[in-house]
Amino acid sequence: MRSASLQIHLAFKLTTALLAVAGSVVLLLTLTRLIPGDPATVILGSRATPEAVAALNARIGLDKPLIEQVFAFFRRLFSGDLGQDVFNGRPVLGLVLGALPNTAALAISAMLCAIAFGVPLALLSARRPGGRVDRLVAFLSVGFISTPSFVVSVFLLMVFSVTLRWFPVLGAGESGDLGDQLWHLVLPTAALAAGWIGYIARLLRSSLLEMLGENHIRTLRAYGVSEAKILMKYALKPAVLPTVAVVGMGFGELLGGAVFAEVIFNRPGLGSLIYDAIRTRNYPVVQGGVFVIVLLYVLTNLIADLSQSLIDPRERARLASGRGQ
Amino acid sequence: MTFNPTRRQVLLGGASIATVVALGGVHPAFAAADRSKITVRVDKDLSNLDPANRSGPVDLNVIWSVQQGLISFKPGSTEWEFDAAEELEQVSDTEIRFKLRSGLAFTGGYGPLTAEDVKFSFERFIKPDTEGKPVTYAKDWSALDRVEVTGPLEGRIILKNPAPALYTIALADGSGRIVSKKAFEALGEKAIATTLIGSGPYILKEWTPRETFVLDINPDYKGPIKPHFQQIIGKPIGEQKTSEIAFQSGEIDFTAIDPENGKALAALPDASITEIPAIDYVWFGPNIEKAPFDDIRVRQAIRYAVDIDAILQGAYSGLYPRANALLAPSLLGYWKDAPVHTRDLEKAQSLLAEAGHPDGFKTKLTIEANARYEAVAQIIQANLAEVGIEVEIEALESAAYWALGENDASKDLELSLIKYNGKFDPGFQTQWFTSAQVGQWNWQRWKNADFDALHEKGGVTVDPAEREKIYIEAQKLLDDSAAFIWITHNLNAFASRKWLKPGVLPNGNNWLYTAFTEATA
Repeated sequence: MRSASLQIHLAFKLTTALLAVAGSVVLLLTLTRLIPGDPATVILGSRATPEAVAALNARIGLDKPLIEQVFAFFRRLFSGDLGQDVFNGRPVLGLVLGALPNTAALAISAMLCAIAFGVPLALLSARRPGGRVDRLVAFLSVGFISTPSFVVSVFLLMVFSVTLRWFPVLGAGESGDLGDQLWHLVLPTAALAAGWIGYIARLLRSSLLEMLGENHIRTLRAYGVSEAKILMKYALKPAVLPTVAVVGMGFGELLGGAVFAEVIFNRPGLGSLIYDAIRTRNYPVVQGGVFVIVLLYVLTNLIADLSQSLIDPRERARLASGRGQ
Repeated sequence: MTFNPTRRQVLLGGASIATVVALGGVHPAFAAADRSKITVRVDKDLSNLDPANRSGPVDLNVIWSVQQGLISFKPGSTEWEFDAAEELEQVSDTEIRFKLRSGLAFTGGYGPLTAEDVKFSFERFIKPDTEGKPVTYAKDWSALDRVEVTGPLEGRIILKNPAPALYTIALADGSGRIVSKKAFEALGEKAIATTLIGSGPYILKEWTPRETFVLDINPDYKGPIKPHFQQIIGKPIGEQKTSEIAFQSGEIDFTAIDPENGKALAALPDASITEIPAIDYVWFGPNIEKAPFDDIRVRQAIRYAVDIDAILQGAYSGLYPRANALLAPSLLGYWKDAPVHTRDLEKAQSLLAEAGHPDGFKTKLTIEANARYEAVAQIIQANLAEVGIEVEIEALESAAYWALGENDASKDLELSLIKYNGKFDPGFQTQWFTSAQVGQWNWQRWKNADFDALHEKGGVTVDPAEREKIYIEAQKLLDDSAAFIWITHNLNAFASRKWLKPGVLPNGNNWLYTAFTEATA
């Protein structure tokens, strides 16, 4: 009975995830075709003849009706084909898979960095609310959140690349050279993580303060349990739940939203791939790239959702009692 | 065992790490310059390396260094020099004879370069491809009838009509590159887009999409052009600001820059700035099919009301040269006595009153969205407001803006600000203003039978002096219409290391990597 309930819960989540992916892709395909412009003007220059434009559109399959192109996209998808780059015929799947590790590495390192700094800052803040440390952390957090990542990026580049020459400006490092790749990851990670450090610190601090006011914490204090132990062992675990959900969503967002960092640091990631493809109306690359991002976004949300169900005893109990969807 | 560091230990450790990083932590990308290779920034990645289907100057610059033509452009000029051909003779208005150098060979074991390869390469432009479609640059060879092979290294190019522009538009340009027939047949049309086989000074050693491309000297090259650098590394960097930061940090040796940033970059100890006046044409003008712009007095009033010098000062920092006609000073047909229209508000107001608009009117100015054109548009808006013309600015994203050239979309335009890239033959520039281009790229929708005739005549006239007169006459007609208010021919600026002399052609977009050399002190 319990397992059946869990299966239903899982099936519901998976179905909604799949529908979200399909819906997003259809919406995107439609929207990209509604905006004016096409790859022909990019390839042929701004003053191509209508005959040349028509010939090129026929060559790359853009002369077919939109609905036919949407169906063709899904048909190809089932055979693992995301189409071809309109400019040189390279498979989109290869381009996306080539870019994905760079974006994933950046998103993971940025989120790990945000957690590594954000959680301790939240703990420090929550220990003495209103104290000097709390005020300082609040100031830093708001500063980090409100400074756009591209401003942080340019600042970091001017200091650490131009002045000190410690870190490189361009690219993702030599392929196969892990040290070089990590070296190239430092500045974009710092630029992307800054806002998330502040966000996690503020969010977790609020949850911790709420938790520290609960009856069972007061009881623990009455029993003489040390404040550090209360904070780390009894308050942090339940308080971290809302942050897990936000981190899950944030990770998905970073996969597609690292565009600024990728463009400024010239990292050949998924965000910059899609950005360039949109500018040149390279529709198959836009479709393939966005499809993968939507898929990953939905997947990370699903994982965050499910892990929350596993961490939260109330949710576990709800599922165990068969009241899950 | 536990680790309980003291505050002193923590401070000492931190200081040690900082010292190590500061002394020895400089990234290898900033290592001292190796003068046998250079790293250049390109503004986008390579895309299609088939000369007949190439996609812009980034592809062309690489194709030029790997594939030979019968002739190629001389570094820094619009003139040409022999490349794969050792003889090239214009036998008649419609026949060009050529003789290839002996000993030229394609890389990858695809054999010697022969007249058959020339025939195959040029005739591709007038035949449909394997899917029955014309190649992208078919128009460049529209005058070609056939290429006759008269010997292993000799042949005749037969034209349907005289085509003096053929030398600069096709033969010396990308459409004149010689591909290996054998390689094309072995690899197929699709692979040719990403595999560059040539007989030129460089080979494309590596291309990692979106990261880098590497050109290495071709050890078997037997042609006349001597490249200087052993290796040229290209880094695609879309953002201008990023490329300038990368130049400052020492990661790249050469990049195009915004001329306005030239002064700041020139202050760097190892930087040199090169400025080259371009051959583009930037102008704004009304759609003359729409009232009130169908009245020449309104168009003249607008020309009197706008302060071009203020635009050049405000939007171009006073660095860009003023344009007074279509063709730039370095081109055949440059009209050096073109009138310089100065601002005269009184005349503008009186012309508007004469035309029945004493209080002005409302209109819309369409521009491609970017900071510079927005600044230009705002100055025009302010200038025209002084004579009562209220201008709404419509800024469109690049692809949406250029889509106005399709499906007769320009018919709804009122005022538009336009920039077209120039090519080295004047006929390329004049073609966009012919009547046949209305509905496509003639956004002013100006039709003039005399202009059309002059454009046609210029296209088939072989004598340069005669051609010059024709194109000056054509520009006079453009000026008489008051439909084209010229702003600038643009300015190209480049930052490079002091020890590097870049090989840039006068249009600024095209670079001859073979002409990049070490600067002499």
